[in-house]
Amino acid sequence: MTQERLTLRLIVLLVCATLLAACTTLPPATGDPRAMKFDPVTFTIPEVERIVLENGIIVYLLPDPELPLVTASAMIRTGAVYEPPEKVGLAALTGTVMRTGGTARMTGDQIDEELEFLAANVGVGIGSESGTASLDILKKDLGRGLAIFADMLRTPSFEPAKVELAKRQALEAIRRRPDSPAGIAGREFRKLLYGADHPLGRESTIATVSRITREDLVAFHRQYFTPSGLILGVTGDFEKPAMLDALRKVFGDWKPQPVTLPAIPPVTASPASGSNRSVNILSRDLTQTYLRVGHLSVKEDDPDFFALALLEDILGGNSFTSRLFRDVRIRQGLAYSVGSRLVPGNLGPGAFLLYALTKGSSTHQALASMLDHMERLRQEPVTDDELQFAKDAFLNSFVFSFADAGLIVGRLMALEYYGLPRDFLQRFRDSVVKLTKEDLLRVARKHLHPDRVVILAVGKDDDFEQPLSTFGQVRHLTLKPGG
Amino acid sequence: MPQRIVVLLSLILLASLASAANLEERVVEHRLANGLTLLLMERHQAPVVAVNLTYRVGGVYEHNGITGVAHLYEHMAFKGTRTIGVTDAEKEKPVLEELDRLAEAIMAEKIKGPAADQTRLAALRKRFTEVEAQAQQFVVSAELATLYQRNGGVGLNATTGKDVTRYFLSFPSNRLPLWAAVESDRMANGVLREFYKEKKVVLEERRQRTDNSPSGRLHEAFAAAAFLAHPYGQPVIGWPSDLEALSRTETAAFFQTYYGPVNAVLAVVGDIKPKEVIALVENTFGKIPARPPAPPVLTTEPPYAGERRVEVEFPAESQLLIGYHKPSASHPDDDVFDVLESLLSEGRTSRLYKRLVQEKQLAASIEAFSDYPGAQYPNLFVISATPRAPHTIAEVEQTVYEELDRLKREPVSPHELQKILNQVDAAQVRALRSNSGMASRLAYFQAISGDWRETFKRRDRIAKVTPDDIRRVAAQYFTKNNRVVATLVKPEDGAGKDKP
Repeated sequence: MTQERLTLRLIVLLVCATLLAACTTLPPATGDPRAMKFDPVTFTIPEVERIVLENGIIVYLLPDPELPLVTASAMIRTGAVYEPPEKVGLAALTGTVMRTGGTARMTGDQIDEELEFLAANVGVGIGSESGTASLDILKKDLGRGLAIFADMLRTPSFEPAKVELAKRQALEAIRRRPDSPAGIAGREFRKLLYGADHPLGRESTIATVSRITREDLVAFHRQYFTPSGLILGVTGDFEKPAMLDALRKVFGDWKPQPVTLPAIPPVTASPASGSNRSVNILSRDLTQTYLRVGHLSVKEDDPDFFALALLEDILGGNSFTSRLFRDVRIRQGLAYSVGSRLVPGNLGPGAFLLYALTKGSSTHQALASMLDHMERLRQEPVTDDELQFAKDAFLNSFVFSFADAGLIVGRLMALEYYGLPRDFLQRFRDSVVKLTKEDLLRVARKHLHPDRVVILAVGKDDDFEQPLSTFGQVRHLTLKPGG
Repeated sequence: MPQRIVVLLSLILLASLASAANLEERVVEHRLANGLTLLLMERHQAPVVAVNLTYRVGGVYEHNGITGVAHLYEHMAFKGTRTIGVTDAEKEKPVLEELDRLAEAIMAEKIKGPAADQTRLAALRKRFTEVEAQAQQFVVSAELATLYQRNGGVGLNATTGKDVTRYFLSFPSNRLPLWAAVESDRMANGVLREFYKEKKVVLEERRQRTDNSPSGRLHEAFAAAAFLAHPYGQPVIGWPSDLEALSRTETAAFFQTYYGPVNAVLAVVGDIKPKEVIALVENTFGKIPARPPAPPVLTTEPPYAGERRVEVEFPAESQLLIGYHKPSASHPDDDVFDVLESLLSEGRTSRLYKRLVQEKQLAASIEAFSDYPGAQYPNLFVISATPRAPHTIAEVEQTVYEELDRLKREPVSPHELQKILNQVDAAQVRALRSNSGMASRLAYFQAISGDWRETFKRRDRIAKVTPDDIRRVAAQYFTKNNRVVATLVKPEDGAGKDKP
């Protein structure tokens, strides 16, 4: 028996003596709220136990007896990035039918009937860069729930009728894609950023989904679902030894097998250093233009990531208070939705994005404002007030990253999956405290490139008040059927 | 010493939280003299708290000409007060009033249509822009949100529905005094600044949610067809022409009528000591003068017979909505509809999913929901579906009717009813997982039914629903002449097609 026990460092933030929240007496609520001063938010992060089972399954346990519920979640080393290009959609279908298509012991219909009678929630899904599964069940039914959950991961039977149903549903979803302009903008922008053939940019089509057979699903599952690729996290009302016994009972005899993950090719589609902006219009008969602006960016393990994240909060990440929100929405009244996002790169590069939805006749104005704000971060430092506000907002809301057991365990699983340090968030916090305006300016100059962004406008270009050619050479995209 | 106290506390907590049955005992209710209802629940998992301030106001309290005002006010509530969001409210006031006069003059000229004096209009608009810039000089942009976020507030937002408007956020629990000061100020002293700009934002929101959304278009037409008289037929976001014409005076009057303390429910869930919070709320919200209760909606939908059908042309794949008129949440039959909602569409074993999605594969999705578009007044039981090609709306519609007819003939099995009850029970337990979810639930039931205990009572009533109740209700309500149907179809002439 080789059981590795690794107790995570008990992280004490600031000073706190109790595991419970600090119930201090409230100061009076009189006077100007702007002048009110409060003690720093103090809390302790509970200890999470990490155990590696004999067959390689990594388990995180964090009991939380508040409610008579148990939640198990799984991350599996797989993803749509690993599916063959002629069968895009295979990974997602495999996840869907693992949930619906029965197991060695039960039919899919029997499973649905039992789980719904027990009011249990079970899900399996395979996304772009990982597979996930979850079980949420009343404590009294845990034994049954875990058995079904484990069977789904280990011995899905992929009933032909459920494979066919899932395929037909996937094809209908593709047919309905053009009905959502936001969906079009998202997919087309990804294609522009990563390349239409790149695993991070491509999308399923009628052709790729039609080609997928039941045998493909069986093979995809067999290839990736193995104990050595599995991270489990369990929270809720249980005792650790009993939970470990229960997990061993359902997963213990699962034999590990080696997994080879295909390499992810480098991204070459985005404008390279020194090149021009890529301006793209996809003409649709809409009263609003869906604007996306951005470029590839650093990954979470980059030393500049934390500074870039705070900069992004200031630019468009903080709802209601960011520069983009105050200017494009509040001051100019051009958009209801406007902001930015820093997408962490996990397997591939990350991305820095800005978005806005504005009426056709203010498309140029909104786009110009977005680019100006990006440029301004490179030209001048943020103000002392802005920096202090961004830090305060981040640090004072930090407690919410640890507000429940599921969040804490889910994050540890993801950090391990993506090879990031367990104390990633604590490092984030410690870095943010030290950041200066000069740091942000340096990072903006290094990592923001308004001169070579990818721009996408999905909307009725006849309505634009000025042609977008002022931003660069315009390319007109066409939507492929089912695109 | 502190350690030992903590251990004791934990043990007490474990015992008291072990079952959801005693949930009811954990809620503290307090009524302020000015009518505000305060609901509190302690939950010490983390040093955070969630607040939900729910007002009994929404789109249903509007009439033609001011549709959208409840939602527009909700946006305005983020603009600040006489002290927040402004450098000098006294100096700002006359500028805002001049802006109103200009806006009204522009409207008065504009409605003359072709007879409007274009020169005068241009001059008024120029002046409007100048005065708007003057007003802007006094604005401290987004100061209210800044105060909350600087103090660790997360999830700050608000929603407007037909029946209720809700303001919510979560924050570290030691910041409660700041929240009480800001939020009570907002209840008493809101100032409608940046009003004309915010209308543009709301029009963008309308474009996003309704104009360019196939389901948004369909729902708007569906509700309008279902209610001839009752304001449930009007869109919460408002008709664009009403939004354009809405004045600041009308919006302020709406606030005066519907935002009194008596019309508000405040739920606070999390790391709190109820006694302290009661004292804090008494000391802040308690100082707000009482206002008369808001008037209820008097219009009732007249009975009518005959199916109503409406077709929306839009360049998108087909969609279907079927609605049956039913009574409000306070009627005993409403519980039977709650059971029907689960029976028909909750999960993969539900009847409509099994028949239409899994077996006959006519539909890509199907869903049933009760209390549409609101619960306070008589409303609709709705079935929403998207056909799966090559199947048609007609095939889906026909099969839905067959399933509904089956409910009138065959009694539902005890197993199906037990499954629904199990799900309701589990949902009660799961609701406690989140401070904000619990705050939302308590405030909603208090606002809608005047009793937060409804969230528990409803469970017991659902437990009593019998197969005969279901047969009776299906036979009484699921009839052709009580029905309204809306379909979304592609334009026949190819209009709205995109150019290559």
